[in-house]
Amino acid sequence: MWKTNLKVLAIALLVVGFYTTVAHIIPQLQSEVPEALALGSGVTPEALVAAGEKIYNGAGGCTACHGLGTRAPNLITDYKGQGAVGARCGTRKPGMACKAYLYESLTQPQAYIVQGFDPIMPDMRKQLSDDQIWAAVAFLESQGGEVDVTGEDIAKSAPAKGAAPAPTGPAMTATLDPVALYSEKGCIGCHQMDGKGGAVGPSWDHIGSRRSAASIRRKIIDPKSDTTKGFEKFAGMMPATFGQMLTAAQLEALVTFLANKK
Amino acid sequence: MTPMLALLQQAVTDTTGAYGHFPGVGGRGAVWVAAEVHLMFAAFVLGVPMFAVITELIGIVSKDEKYDKLSHEFTRLLVFAYSATALWGAMLLFALTTLYPKFWAHMTKIFSVSMWIYVSLFFVESFTLYLYYYGWERWQFGRGKWFHWGLGVLLNVWGTTVMLIANGWLTYMMSPPTGATAEGLPKGVTMWNAIANATWIPINIHRLIANAVFGGAIVAAYAAYRFLAAKTPEERAHYDWMGYVGNFIAISTFIVLPFAGYWLGREIYQYNQQMGITMMGGFMSWLWIVQAVLIGVLFLCANYYLWLGMARIPGAERFVPYTKWMLLLLIVCWIAWSTPHTMIATRDELVSMGGAHHPFLNVLGVMSAKNTAVNLMILTTFLSFLIYRRANKESVVPWARTGTLIQGAMFVIAAAVVLFYGVYGYFVEAIVRIGFSVYQVGAVLMCILGVSIIDAFIGRGARSRGEIRWGQMPERSQYALFVLAVTFTWLMGLMGFARSGIRQHWHVWEVMRDTSPDAFTPALGYAANMISLCVLIFLSLVAFIFWLGGLAERASHAVAPEPHGVAIPPGIAVARPGAAPVTGD
Repeated sequence: MWKTNLKVLAIALLVVGFYTTVAHIIPQLQSEVPEALALGSGVTPEALVAAGEKIYNGAGGCTACHGLGTRAPNLITDYKGQGAVGARCGTRKPGMACKAYLYESLTQPQAYIVQGFDPIMPDMRKQLSDDQIWAAVAFLESQGGEVDVTGEDIAKSAPAKGAAPAPTGPAMTATLDPVALYSEKGCIGCHQMDGKGGAVGPSWDHIGSRRSAASIRRKIIDPKSDTTKGFEKFAGMMPATFGQMLTAAQLEALVTFLANKK
Repeated sequence: MTPMLALLQQAVTDTTGAYGHFPGVGGRGAVWVAAEVHLMFAAFVLGVPMFAVITELIGIVSKDEKYDKLSHEFTRLLVFAYSATALWGAMLLFALTTLYPKFWAHMTKIFSVSMWIYVSLFFVESFTLYLYYYGWERWQFGRGKWFHWGLGVLLNVWGTTVMLIANGWLTYMMSPPTGATAEGLPKGVTMWNAIANATWIPINIHRLIANAVFGGAIVAAYAAYRFLAAKTPEERAHYDWMGYVGNFIAISTFIVLPFAGYWLGREIYQYNQQMGITMMGGFMSWLWIVQAVLIGVLFLCANYYLWLGMARIPGAERFVPYTKWMLLLLIVCWIAWSTPHTMIATRDELVSMGGAHHPFLNVLGVMSAKNTAVNLMILTTFLSFLIYRRANKESVVPWARTGTLIQGAMFVIAAAVVLFYGVYGYFVEAIVRIGFSVYQVGAVLMCILGVSIIDAFIGRGARSRGEIRWGQMPERSQYALFVLAVTFTWLMGLMGFARSGIRQHWHVWEVMRDTSPDAFTPALGYAANMISLCVLIFLSLVAFIFWLGGLAERASHAVAPEPHGVAIPPGIAVARPGAAPVTGD
């Protein structure tokens, strides 16, 4: 019987050992906790780039999508002959410099969606501090472009001591023109209107015949409140920050405009 | 307050009192081991009662005593396993309260009422089990037997409810309701909302099926051990049959498990796309390659066991020539499934590959190839079961040939659908390709269902080509059952790491951050070490339980000795060396 016991033990150890070995010979990737940075106003571009590279390959989780060529555009290798991200970022959005574009991509990822991709990029402010985001911007600029991020950028975007925290959305403008808001707030990235815009969310054409004003308002403020039929796979994708990004007057202007689009 | 600011505030508030220290493996390691071993025992004590009541019911309805004895033997293992489950549960609780007091305070603040219900149900469940096991002889006949069977059903109800409550806690950590903060739930959000969160139902379904799979595999391993230790042909016959039943339950329920897993993954994506990407394409993407290796072993061993078993079935010879082709198909599919594709890669790795994808493996690594491979493996395994089942039967219905041809056509159509969408998937966008997996799975399920129904009718009143010679099984077949049990256990540990690890540095996803030194999510190598440690602890304890089960049996035999060791229930043919097969009555 001891022979049988030893055989059973050997089989168990062999099987466990085999799986453990397989798990050891594949690439060992560890998910790091985002490190708190202390980048002062005198930080050098080199220090920013070095910190950004760590974030890009680690805590930022950027390589989960960027670099595969399927989920998101390649950033550090060539993309459709346009070079790496540092070389092309200045020409993505007309009138927007590379630094501003990259910062916007990380903090308001739905504002501009590269053609051919789904809007799956999360708002990185949920995971990274502001100096970490600036460090990532500097690293991305260094990929084929010039680094112009400085300590002043970090200081400017950091909330002042004792002051109320900065709103998480983009700077608020005074416009009450719903068509301008459509572009400015990034709605165009997902919702079609008059033949323009993405198709990730329901079209805004004739939306007033499908939803009441109250329903539209609720959906903007709390996107998770319901999901439009046919768009279940994109559920949860609409940012929940529009309530902070729009003034009350802007929200009402937009709601009225949409409710009237019968 | 911005989310980052809130997290920084939490980090500042977290003083040393938020986390305890455990020597050697650290706090996280201690909780990991306690939770995983507890879970393995819990899966066993939830899975085994499921088929204990099913086999008891079959015994009552068919009046076949061997099923009742089988059910009784399952339950004997349960009695010992329950104590181990409770002990490891207590260890987990102490580990959490001493090593993660702040996190545990958060959980108790939200779930305290459900925790009281949980403990109460555990008591009720234990007493129901004692009644069920110790009342076996007393309520053996007539109405008493139905009452006894009702106790078995109740045992399952309590056990499942206990599992549902615990699942509520752990899924809350993955997908908390909107508005939850480190301080608790907002006004208007109740404990029920926290329990019935976005991933609760898919986890419940997935675990219910997985428990049946796991229970079947462990019972089959127990039977294998008893088979190898058997002193008489009767004992060998009994445990050969028991091993077959355990393996049949494990594999037949395992076949539907990927569909439940697919649903769970979809819900995770829907709740939070980033979490879904971390799981399938982020730093955890390599985990699925390890999973493919394990599942490939499971399919190969399950088929190998069946093919070896055909040697003891008169009439099975006519199917043997096909097995080598089935083996070839399984191996090809295994290779395709285990091939990496769009893996997370560092900058240097991308540069050295010359792009995002490997120039050669690219073709095999995509989901089209993987979905095709896994569906063909499922079809092949089902075919193995089918020919095993029909091996010693000769149909007497006049339409037997037509029925068999229709069954064959069903297999061909299902395989063609799987292959067609597998190839077509290379020519469409990813979003369209994802939908193809539904057609592939649908074709396979329809085939399994249709073929099984036809087979049930074809087999009606079938002539036997000879009794199955239970016990006449090569020893290596029993080692295949051990490999299956160890692999299922390891797979459970791996999937546990996947589910828990996708939260990364969050105790509760985007609600309560892990600020301990162990907050990082370890690489697969370290995780594999921990999983192996848990598996070895669990298997050692299970071996001890099996040994105790044997002791208890010997003790009962000492009181009422049976002439030939284990009594052979009616209906089991025993293979004696040099003798023609005889039935055991």
